[in-house]
Amino acid sequence: MNRQIKIIAKRALINLLILLAAFTIQTCVFPLLPVFSAVPNLLLILTFSFGFIYGSKTGMLLGLVSGMLMDLFYTGPFGFYCLIFIYIGFFNGIFNRYYYNDYIQLPLILCTLNELFYNLYIYVLRFLLRGRLDIGYYFMNIVLPELVFSLIFTLFLYRVFLKANKKLDVIEDRRGTNVA
Amino acid sequence: MDNKSSKYMLIVLTVLCTALIVVSSVQSGFMDPLRNYIGYVLVPVQKGVNAVGTGIYNKIEEYSELKSAYDENIELKARIDSLTEENNRLKSETEELSRLREMYQLDNDYMQYQKVAARIIAKDSENWFQVFRIDKGSNDGIEPDMNVLSGGGLCGIVTEVGANYATVRSIIDDESRVAAMSQHTSDNCIVAGDLKLFEEGRLALTNINKDADISDGDAIVTSNISAKFLPGILIGYASDITIDSRHLTKSGYLIPVADFDNLQEVFVITELKEDVPEEEPET
Repeated sequence: MNRQIKIIAKRALINLLILLAAFTIQTCVFPLLPVFSAVPNLLLILTFSFGFIYGSKTGMLLGLVSGMLMDLFYTGPFGFYCLIFIYIGFFNGIFNRYYYNDYIQLPLILCTLNELFYNLYIYVLRFLLRGRLDIGYYFMNIVLPELVFSLIFTLFLYRVFLKANKKLDVIEDRRGTNVA
Repeated sequence: MDNKSSKYMLIVLTVLCTALIVVSSVQSGFMDPLRNYIGYVLVPVQKGVNAVGTGIYNKIEEYSELKSAYDENIELKARIDSLTEENNRLKSETEELSRLREMYQLDNDYMQYQKVAARIIAKDSENWFQVFRIDKGSNDGIEPDMNVLSGGGLCGIVTEVGANYATVRSIIDDESRVAAMSQHTSDNCIVAGDLKLFEEGRLALTNINKDADISDGDAIVTSNISAKFLPGILIGYASDITIDSRHLTKSGYLIPVADFDNLQEVFVITELKEDVPEEEPET
């Protein structure tokens, strides 16, 4: 039991560090690079991939932390980003039952759906309510570039997460057998 | 079982977030202490990463610039000659200007505002918003609603301040509205940020009275009547002014002076509009 808690705590810490790193890169490095006409949404990718790999609960917790980071750093009502990230974590966790190793199509489809859902949420609550009606323009110029970049990053990052996950599993198993 | 408990978790978290949204909408300073504490941890990290990122980017930039530098050098040498000549002419004109300023007692407060230089350490990653964070906070005397300048023009306004950071909303953000006026005729107008126009490097210029004398190329500065912006700060130049379909107002576009594509350093004016004594109009 004690060992179990240790493993969970360790994974939680690792995940937190990954999130912080992603957030810092997303806000401090990407916007500086003029090559990127849009910034890929790393936090979104992390939340949905982890939700997908580990299930709804992990997804929601990761979503909560990602959302808090966004909320803490930008003005506006606190909880705006938390809410959407939690839902993304939860819904992708549902697809956990269709999760197979090395199967990349589903994550890419999920990424697309998540990006669309996430941007629709921002558009409706922050733009449509102020009377900005031209959804087509915003889709072409903001959502689409971000979607493309996010898909490219998902392609790489998702594989990295899978590998890391397998490695952690192996290490923890080996320790387990040693103790036994 | 696991499914059920995760559903409960979702409901609890949803209620929690909604409650937070409501509370923080009503009372905007509610989360500030927490934001502040997190700031103590994350701002140094952001600063470091930003410094490394900027360093690498500048190195690459330097290299590519070196290539074109040779051609540019020849071209520039030729320009120096013409500029020296122009400089001489301008010098005499500046003298004339300062003499005229004294004569007309023109208001040049703009030059006298106290400023603090700050470095941009993070930008809003959302492509929807134009918000950034600077590395100076309340420790350096920065307060909300202070005006931010860059490249000689108005760039944004401080919306939130932590001990060692401040968040700035730039004037190109879709939610930004600045009360402005034409520099030489003092006709009022509004400079509005617009996500669509920003892609073309412009802002919207609206609410101009149909009789107002604002024409293309006029300098637009912050207005005396603005609640938050200090008067007389240059924002940009008017362009494509047309009469609206109802013939009551005119509108057009504004080309900003500040270069929003390459923002790295900004100046924060450490004076608030509400603290600056209103000058009584002479009667």
